[in-house]
Amino acid sequence: MKKILSASIALATCFTLACGRVDSAQPRADGAPGPANATVPLAAVNNPTVNADGQPINAQGAATLEFKKRIDAYIKIHNDAEGKVPNLKKTDDPQEISDREKALGQMIMTLRANAQPGDIFAPAYQPYFVKIVQDDFKGRSAADRKAIVAELPAKMKVDINTVYPTTLPLETFPPALLRKLPDLPPELEYRIVARSLILRDVKANLIVDILRDVVPTIPS
Amino acid sequence: MKKLSVRIVVVLGALLALAAAGQAVTAQQRAQASSIGVAIDVEPPIGQDSVKFLVIGDSGTGDRAETETAAQMWRAHSVFPYDFAIMLGDNLYGSERPQDFAAKFERPYKPLLDAKVAFYAALGNHDDPNQRFYKNFGMNGKRYYTYQKKDVRFFALDSNYMDQDQQRWLDEELSKSNSKWKIAYFHHPIYSSGGRHGSEVDLRSIVEPMFIKYNLNVVFAGHEHFYERLKPQRGINYFTAGGSAKLRSGDIVGSSALTAKGFDTEQSFMVVEIDGDVLRFQTISRRGKRVDSGEIRRSGGTS
Repeated sequence: MKKILSASIALATCFTLACGRVDSAQPRADGAPGPANATVPLAAVNNPTVNADGQPINAQGAATLEFKKRIDAYIKIHNDAEGKVPNLKKTDDPQEISDREKALGQMIMTLRANAQPGDIFAPAYQPYFVKIVQDDFKGRSAADRKAIVAELPAKMKVDINTVYPTTLPLETFPPALLRKLPDLPPELEYRIVARSLILRDVKANLIVDILRDVVPTIPS
Repeated sequence: MKKLSVRIVVVLGALLALAAAGQAVTAQQRAQASSIGVAIDVEPPIGQDSVKFLVIGDSGTGDRAETETAAQMWRAHSVFPYDFAIMLGDNLYGSERPQDFAAKFERPYKPLLDAKVAFYAALGNHDDPNQRFYKNFGMNGKRYYTYQKKDVRFFALDSNYMDQDQQRWLDEELSKSNSKWKIAYFHHPIYSSGGRHGSEVDLRSIVEPMFIKYNLNVVFAGHEHFYERLKPQRGINYFTAGGSAKLRSGDIVGSSALTAKGFDTEQSFMVVEIDGDVLRFQTISRRGKRVDSGEIRRSGGTS
């Protein structure tokens, strides 16, 4: 396992030096088709490394697979929590929406009382996500980068297993970046807060995991 | 649209206008018109059986600007009886407690809600996605959705989070629509002359190819706190109407080559009629002045 992890980190570093990219729906390591139009680093496609058993592995695929496993584990908790709070149907009473959101959030917080940063963004694979975000920003014009950063909520502190502050706007997630990150189930979404990439539970308005210092600093 | 600009005093003019348009004047509308007594510069719809709707964006402040602009919407309704309203996002600013829904939506728009004007909201960056469960926003529990009004197919998108699922859904829904008119609306403008935000180029790269491929006619967006009618881009007509309560005065870049008409000195909203192959629009300011109007023929172009 250690070898897989170090290979992943090494490849993530190697991605920085990768000479190009291919646009392709590459199959994932778990055999599932990759997202349409996903951008796959050439280095990962052409230079597979090996795991502890000497079998070739694709670092991006391994990272995605591990991420998916952890997402699935979270969704089990989410579904468990959903089963323990009243169902939400469309209503003309905002109180019902608010109560349900709070109840679901509270239930998930209870079920994940020991949650730690990195529970889903596994530390070994964090460089993979960092690389995707930083490459995306590098590919943008200065004006575009500034426009994205200008949208971010100012001076917002976030922590896992806490409610996303309802008085602050949700930043618009850059669609092109979204296409490069692994798909999420509808219960979860990526958001950027300050320089962090967060996973947010949509129905519970809960911050599920945080990857800090991902977004490059933008000179003013 | 005729250049004829008739300033209608609503107390009398609204009733005459309704009659002229062949609309049945209800007791409620009589009461509405007689209770107002304030001038508003709105022309009645022309079509007998046209699709008529209101366009508002960035409206959920709960402040005086929202209330006064909403009052003008109600006055406009007496002359131009739209059946439904599209909301371009930022439906509720700040906290979203039950009392906020009341202060920032239900109270300002009470006359419209009472008149059974249906609202169909898109989500803005200030909106909790759980607004989709709020019945009065007409989202039926969906972040993005589509609906039909006679010859017109509307696509309400969530531009905050344009994920793969939404892209696939949009492509599929656009491809299977045979409607005469296809209209999309969402929060972030993909073309804009705003100094603060400007065009959402990233979003544009994703959605514009689909809009072109499937012959979308018109796009409405908010986010920029002003009104802008853009010169048609690649055959598609774009409006930004994100100043229905929030206002960013003077934010339209004067030298922008994109602007066909801009208005950023007062809050505003739009009333729109689609009548066969013609879409007619009027943009009304917080003080009841018509600041833009025109028509779009389905083949493209604005006059």
